[in-house]
Amino acid sequence: MKLNFQTPISVAIAIGVGIIVLLGYFFGTNASGEITLIGILQSYFLQGAVVVAGVALLVGVFNLTAVHVKRIKQGDKAVYSLITVLALLLTLLVGAYDLAMTYLQGETGLRYTRWIFENIQLPIESSLMAIIAISLTYAAIRLLSRRLNFMSVVFSVVLIILLVGAIPAIAASDFNILSSIRNWIMSVPVVGGTRGIVLGMAMGIIATGIRILMGADRPYGG
Amino acid sequence: MTLFGLLRLVFILIFFGLMILFAVSGRSLPGVKLRRISAFTKLRRVIGLAVEAGSRLHISVGDGGTIGTESASAFVGLSVLERLAGSASTSDNPPIASAGDGAIGTLAQETLRSTYSRIGLSGKFDPDTGRVTGLTPFSYAAGTLPLVSDEKTGANVLLGHFGSEVALITDAGERSGNLTLAGTDNLPAQAVVFATAHEPLVGEELYAGGAYLNAGVMHDASLRTQDIFRWALIILILLGILAKFLGLDTMIENLIDELIGGLM
Repeated sequence: MKLNFQTPISVAIAIGVGIIVLLGYFFGTNASGEITLIGILQSYFLQGAVVVAGVALLVGVFNLTAVHVKRIKQGDKAVYSLITVLALLLTLLVGAYDLAMTYLQGETGLRYTRWIFENIQLPIESSLMAIIAISLTYAAIRLLSRRLNFMSVVFSVVLIILLVGAIPAIAASDFNILSSIRNWIMSVPVVGGTRGIVLGMAMGIIATGIRILMGADRPYGG
Repeated sequence: MTLFGLLRLVFILIFFGLMILFAVSGRSLPGVKLRRISAFTKLRRVIGLAVEAGSRLHISVGDGGTIGTESASAFVGLSVLERLAGSASTSDNPPIASAGDGAIGTLAQETLRSTYSRIGLSGKFDPDTGRVTGLTPFSYAAGTLPLVSDEKTGANVLLGHFGSEVALITDAGERSGNLTLAGTDNLPAQAVVFATAHEPLVGEELYAGGAYLNAGVMHDASLRTQDIFRWALIILILLGILAKFLGLDTMIENLIDELIGGLM
C-alpha cells in the first residue's frame, strides 16, 4: 500500500491526534487525580512520538550516509565525504563491539565508544567552541561597520560594559562603578528584555501550534 | 482541572477564536499592514534574484526536534521552506534544505516533495535537496558549512532552533558574501545571530515569517491575534506596576487568593 501524505486522511489524523494531546494537558486527570481516557491516549501518542523521533534519528543517519556516498561517487569533495563515511562505519563497529562485550562478558561503560567520544569528538567540539569565541569577537567588531544603527550601537556599548565590568580586577577595585553598571544591566534591562522576548515568542509558539491544529500549516507536507 | 489549568484553556480558546475571526474577516477586509522587517524585504528580493540569476537558496531548519517547544521554530522554518521552494523552484539550482535532526530532516524532504508535486514539478524533485547534515549541534553546523560556502548558493535562510554554534554558519555566510537571514528561538543564540548575521530576526519576528511571505490568511490572522494579546499583556503589566506603586499589590494578592480559595 502506498501512503500518500497529501490525502485528507493524514491531515485529519494529524489534527485529531494534536487535539487529543492538547486536551490531555487540561483533562488528563480527573478531580481525584486519576488518569482519564484522554490522559491515557495523550500518554500513548506522546510515547509514540518519542519512538518515531528515535526511528527518525536512524533515517537521518541513512540520509547523511546516502548524501556522502553519492558525493564520493561523483568525486565532489570526495575526501571529506570518504572520511565522514569511514568514521561513521568505524564508530558503528566499535559501538557494536562494545555492545557485544556488554552482553557476552558483562563489561559496562562502553569503553571504546567512550574513548572515541572523549578523545575525538569532545576535543573537536571544544575546538569549534573556541573558533566561535573568535568569530563572535570579530563579528562584534565588524557589526558597527556592517550595520550602523541605534540598536547596533546599544549592543556594542552594552557588550563593552559587560565585558569590562566582568574583569575581576575591576570588580574588586575601589573604582567599581563599571561593575555596578554591569550588575544593574544584568538585573534590570536584561531580565526585562528577556521576559519581553520570551512572552512574544510564547505567543508565536501558541499561534504556530494552533495553525498546525487547524491544518493551516502542514509540516508533514500534506 | 485546576483554576490555572482552566485559565490556560480559556487563553487558548480565546486565541483560537480570535484567529478564526480574523481569518474570516481577513478575506473581506484589505490586507494586513505589516511593519517593515528588513530581513523579509531583502529575502523577497533575493528570491527574485535567485530565479533570474539561477543561484540557489539554502534553507536551514535547525537542529530542534519534533518534540518540545523548539519544534515550533522548526515548523516555522518548514512553512518558509514551502514558500521559498514554491517561489524559487524554477531556478536552475532549486532550493536546498538542511536539518540537524532526523525527524525534521525527513519533514523538510517531505515539504519539498509535496511543494514540487503541488506546483506540478514532481519530476524536478531531488531527494538530496532535503538533507540531514549532522546529528549533534556542532556536527550539524560543520556539515552545513559546505552548503553555505557553495558558489551556487545565493542566500542562506536559517530559521529554526540553533544554539551558539550558529555563529559558524553565519560567519561562513559572511565570508561567502551571500545574504544570511537568521532567526532562532534560543535566547543566547539570538544575541549571536544579531552580531553575526546580515539580517537577524529577534524574538517573535521568527514566527511572523509566514505572514511576510504570504503563506496564507491564517498567518495574517495569527499576527493580528498576537498583537491583541501583546497589548493586553502590556496593559496588565502597566496596571501591575501602578498597583505596586500605589501600594495596592498586597490587597490585590489577597483578593486573588480569596477568589482562588472560593473556587477550589
